[in-house]
Amino acid sequence: MEKRYWRSLAERENPAEFARAAEEEFPQNPLEQIEVSGGWDRRGFLKAAGFGFAASALAGCSRAPVEKALPYLNQPEYRVAGRATYYASTCGACPAGCGLLAKVIDGRPIKLEGNPEQAISRGATCAAGQASLLGLYDGLRLKQPLAAGRASTWAEVDAAILASLEKIRRSGGAVRYLSETITSPTKLAWVERFLGQFRDARHVVYDPLSASAILDAHEKTHGARLLPHYLFAKADVIASFEADFLGTWISPVEFARDYASRRAPSGRSWHAQFEGRLSLTGTKADRRVRVEPAEIPARLRQLAERIAAGDGRGDEVAERLLAARGRSLVVCGANDLEAQLWTNEINARLGNYGATLDLERPSRQRQGNDRELGKLLEELKAGQVAALFVDGVNPAAELPAGAEVGRAGLVVSFAGSLDESAERAHFVCPDHHYLETWADAEPVAGLVSLTQPAIRPLGATRAVIESLAAWCGKPGKAYDLLKESWQSRIFPRQKKETSFQVFWDRSVEAGLAEVEAAPAAHRPAGEVFRKEQPEAAQPETAGYALVLYPSVAMLDGRHAYNPWLHELPDPVTKVTWDNCASISPATAAALGVKDGDIVRVEAGTAIELPAVVQPGQHDRVIAVALGYGRKASERFAKLGPQWIDSRPSVNEQGRVGVSAAGLLGWEGGLLRYTRGAAKITRTGRRTELAITQTYGTLSVPKQLAPADGEVRPIVQETTPEELAKPAEPEEKHEELWPEDHPYTGHRWGMAVDLNACTGCSACVTACQAENNIPVVGKDEVRRHREMHWIRIDRYYSGPPEEVAVAHQPMMCQQCDHAPCETVCPVLATVHSSEGLNQQVYNRCVGTRYCENNCPYKTRRFNWFNYPREDRLANLALNPNVTVRSRGVMEKCTFCVQRIQEAKIEAKRVGEPVRDGEIRTACEQACPAGAIVFGDLNDANSRVARLARDARQYRVLEEINTGPAVHYLKIVRNREGGDQKNG
Amino acid sequence: MAEICSPLRLPLIAGRKKPAAVTEDVCRALTRPPSGLWWAAFAAAFALLLLGTAAVSYQIATGVGTWGLNTTVGWAFDITNFVFWVGIGHAGTLISAILFLFRQRWRTSVNRSAEAMTLFAVMCAGIFPVIHTGRPWLAYWLFPYPNFRGSLWINFRSPLAWDCFAISTYFLISATFWYVGLIPDLATVRDRLASTEGGSLRHRLFSIFSLGWNGSYRVWRHYEVLYLLLAGLATPLVISVHTIVSWDFATAVIPGWHATIFPPYFVAGAIFSGIAMVLTLMLVARKAMGLEDYITTRHVDVMCKLLLLTSGIVALAYGTEFFTAFYSGNPYEEFVFLNRAKGPFAWAYWTMVSCNVLVPQLLWFRRVRRSMGVVFVLSLLINVGMWFERFVIIVTSLHRDFLPSSWASYRPTIVEVSTLAGSFGLFFTCFLIFCRILPVIAMGEVKAVLSHGQGNGGEA
Repeated sequence: MEKRYWRSLAERENPAEFARAAEEEFPQNPLEQIEVSGGWDRRGFLKAAGFGFAASALAGCSRAPVEKALPYLNQPEYRVAGRATYYASTCGACPAGCGLLAKVIDGRPIKLEGNPEQAISRGATCAAGQASLLGLYDGLRLKQPLAAGRASTWAEVDAAILASLEKIRRSGGAVRYLSETITSPTKLAWVERFLGQFRDARHVVYDPLSASAILDAHEKTHGARLLPHYLFAKADVIASFEADFLGTWISPVEFARDYASRRAPSGRSWHAQFEGRLSLTGTKADRRVRVEPAEIPARLRQLAERIAAGDGRGDEVAERLLAARGRSLVVCGANDLEAQLWTNEINARLGNYGATLDLERPSRQRQGNDRELGKLLEELKAGQVAALFVDGVNPAAELPAGAEVGRAGLVVSFAGSLDESAERAHFVCPDHHYLETWADAEPVAGLVSLTQPAIRPLGATRAVIESLAAWCGKPGKAYDLLKESWQSRIFPRQKKETSFQVFWDRSVEAGLAEVEAAPAAHRPAGEVFRKEQPEAAQPETAGYALVLYPSVAMLDGRHAYNPWLHELPDPVTKVTWDNCASISPATAAALGVKDGDIVRVEAGTAIELPAVVQPGQHDRVIAVALGYGRKASERFAKLGPQWIDSRPSVNEQGRVGVSAAGLLGWEGGLLRYTRGAAKITRTGRRTELAITQTYGTLSVPKQLAPADGEVRPIVQETTPEELAKPAEPEEKHEELWPEDHPYTGHRWGMAVDLNACTGCSACVTACQAENNIPVVGKDEVRRHREMHWIRIDRYYSGPPEEVAVAHQPMMCQQCDHAPCETVCPVLATVHSSEGLNQQVYNRCVGTRYCENNCPYKTRRFNWFNYPREDRLANLALNPNVTVRSRGVMEKCTFCVQRIQEAKIEAKRVGEPVRDGEIRTACEQACPAGAIVFGDLNDANSRVARLARDARQYRVLEEINTGPAVHYLKIVRNREGGDQKNG
Repeated sequence: MAEICSPLRLPLIAGRKKPAAVTEDVCRALTRPPSGLWWAAFAAAFALLLLGTAAVSYQIATGVGTWGLNTTVGWAFDITNFVFWVGIGHAGTLISAILFLFRQRWRTSVNRSAEAMTLFAVMCAGIFPVIHTGRPWLAYWLFPYPNFRGSLWINFRSPLAWDCFAISTYFLISATFWYVGLIPDLATVRDRLASTEGGSLRHRLFSIFSLGWNGSYRVWRHYEVLYLLLAGLATPLVISVHTIVSWDFATAVIPGWHATIFPPYFVAGAIFSGIAMVLTLMLVARKAMGLEDYITTRHVDVMCKLLLLTSGIVALAYGTEFFTAFYSGNPYEEFVFLNRAKGPFAWAYWTMVSCNVLVPQLLWFRRVRRSMGVVFVLSLLINVGMWFERFVIIVTSLHRDFLPSSWASYRPTIVEVSTLAGSFGLFFTCFLIFCRILPVIAMGEVKAVLSHGQGNGGEA
């Protein structure tokens, strides 16, 4: 046995116990020891801590929701995900019938652009046309037919209507089809065919913005109820009486383009405007005369007499008109037969028929007949109408006695949503939105424009022609009905194509067909009508004259559902989300009324609405916009950010604005938009208007003006004489900073011709649609937080009675030495190598320093998370543009997504980007062609040429921001400067 | 024996205190239960703080839109408050650092609370740049920290980035300076607590923070050297911080902001407002805590003279601004100043001029300087005036700038007003807590200026 040594008695007696105690005292492995004691060891702790940290970090990251992208089994032709397809179509926002190209990405239309091939649009659109896209995605559109206000099916509705119609057919009851102007040959034919089934049937056409007097006058003078096609492009001298042809009258896009084509300093037309309120057209006139509406016939008569005298009798307008015989144009917007007769007389005497007024290929954009309408309303009142079909109009909201529509035995409405008239209908058979349907239009005789769907109908709606066909016992699809109609009606009117299919395909592709106009039977103007005219009645002198006018955004009110248009500042008053009673500064002072005072306007009935002081308006005129106070605007009660201090976008009545339809007058069988003997009184109440521009001139308030008091050179003007002089060499200032932005490739820039700009605001809405700009609501506009990336600044100059107006589109100037770029602490706004001032949304923390330091104040801040809860409306968003969230700055990008798209395409094709290939949304929409975008590095580009123009200047150039936007000066052609009334 | 002293060497501390009495006077407040007045003040301050917290929480949850700002006026109350509070802080540093270097011994009675005020004011100031951003949760992006977002740095050209450095440096140096100055006093309190509540949490905390101070000659020597060095470090900050803050405006293009006079103008204004705030606080603390012997009319008198001087500089700056605008011939510049004096915000401008230029002229009179009630009212008015100075600079310059089309007005919302009130709540809450837990007067330094220590009082 091995000898055993012991170290102590304890070990000798109990070796096991001793070993344990020794291990405890002098552990071999200290780590184990700790383990034994139940605590944490260092490594364990680190492991656990590491795990815990990793786990909490992982828990903090949520997995992105799985989104599956499924490829097509069979890829449809032309369908490339993310790439836009354009469908040629026709705008349905008003009867003017502009050609459109609907931009469709991934199956949904996201932007409307004018069709350059189509003569009415020629590539441009108006603000309402741009905004009508939103109507497609309107969640309150009817998704199925209604019977007695309840949702129903087409089969049920058809059966019920057919049963009623059968009864009426047997009893011989009166059937009336009440519609707005229908320019569609196909639809007209179906209406005729449908009505043909009944013994007493009539198609009554009325326009809420009636031009009935023009047609009536031509019936008298030319023997045919025709609306001439006005050719402003051919007119050297234009005299307009109350016709707002650049804003809302008949076909504003076409007229604005034609007009603008003649406003360049060379070959410039001369334009006189006689009007009571300050219209958009009036703001562009070379000579503007304030006239009370009742004076208009007398003025025209006077002009006719002076022209008849042959020498103008010292009247500048008459002299100029006479000097431009056959190259002049007199238009009158008053729905007054006498005024229109004088207009015709003047035009006839000047030999303008056949030159600047086309009766051979007349316009069909206004076909309304007020006399017929009056008759219908009387029949309705007497309860003589058995069945009434209401198509495209809303008489209950548009006419003083329109609520009578509910008194017919059977009322069928084709309204797309439950408007004031559809509410009174027994059946509502909702029509498609025009972007969902096959249709056609012939806005001007011989120009047939096709409407093709850009998307499948979003609800169970049905085209009107399908409904009519169904009720004629010939049910069919709109496409087939249309094609049939083209084969029989349109195809024979042309000689180019021999095969219908080829003709059809070409027409669908182009969106239009140019065919022969049906010969218009009219006789040459005689002079006989002059004798029929009684001596002009003396204008009523008591009280004020009330002028009811369509606003550029709302027109007759058909766009009351459209938030983009409500938020679009009125081009002249700059008021949003309201209609107001405009009064002249002198009248306002006399009445003690200020902007926002609620006044009571009385002419027969009375309305109460806020007043706005409008320079340039006649002192005895009160002007109120139509189209407001509609049921459709009730939806805006909760629009915009909701927080403790927010106020609704609607008024006390729960609507946007106040309806002025009750004030419309009837006179001589015509709807009258002007009333005499109106009263205006203060109510003592006030409201705060949502005005985007609260200070209207470029000279600072007098009491704050420095000694020399010079006008700020933001908008610059020149005269034809000054332009004719040789340009003085410009003083060159030495540059302090090194030229460290060489711009070796492109250098994007823009030119804005202030002389061409009419202020129509199409660009503002186009930008809103293109760049996903949120609608913020009335209260936010009131707080000066509207989000538009492009705004139109409107400046007055001269005395308030004879104002000169300048419209200045203002967007980010993409400065070379951008004040915003240096101050951003986080580099969220930086300069690109192509001269763009870029805003990086996801880097922006929102200090607003850039906005403060922007001398142009074109930056826009997301004060809130603007609601994007309407998922249907969200379909209108442009997928190529980020939707900005709360707390970031945004601004005009020069439509960088379009630039990139064109550059990628150019790279793919291997060619340089051609001038004009990239068109920003504002440029694209502009009817006046006032905005030109391009590459300043390309010496031959349009923008580079304009940047060298004699009229070129840049805003605030003197503070050396180096803006990339070049403005062209306004040319004022006010000879003598004498602007006395008359 | 009656005290005899030369009028040239009036004692800084009244009441012929002995060092032990100083310790007793100052530390009494720490152990005594708070007075009703303190509770009332604390309740009011804390209520304001809660109101402010609610306002800021609501604003962060909802958006900066809950303020009255707009596209034209992108800053108003937020940056006004920021500049105001930063300015308040300046007096503390001036008194503790510059006056220390200039051997102004009267500073000893007020430097502790002035420095505490600096800290709290900088805290209040620091809140505003954070909450004024659209996305405050990302405000840390303003600091250059290593990150994985590519080589993403801040914009070193932006005055806001400079602000971040300036304010954080300022806060750090002020806090260090304040803490270092506190160490001897913390040790004093520690030793006092050892006898009454040895081992209590408070005692342990004071022990930890007094860093083993034992009052030895060596320790005092090290302390004095460190204090001097820190004073040297803090001195340039008095100039630099507000200079940098003024660059926020001076480097911008906006007329009314773009002015080279801003740095000295802002620094003078900051000291002006800071001293006014020190006076406000001191006059209250003196009364409420029975410190009349330490903060004597002489202290108040001296500070009033400083007020008068800085008011003069500020007045000169106001005049110079107008002259520059007129002399520049720049119509935008001329307009901005006419608009200030006669435009829609003229009331704010004239409030500013009255409070900052006219009212301080009363301080030329010795009787006014020595009348505590009047000085208190004056100090409040000056604070109001200086707040309006920043408001006028920011809002009136922005609201009517180059393009008349974008001219707008500004009106604060209830949320903004509550936030401003909340910042005062935070400031006073902190200050009141400070009064309760730390010695408000630098005992160690005061003991050095007692007549006891000067050798002309001696043992009587």
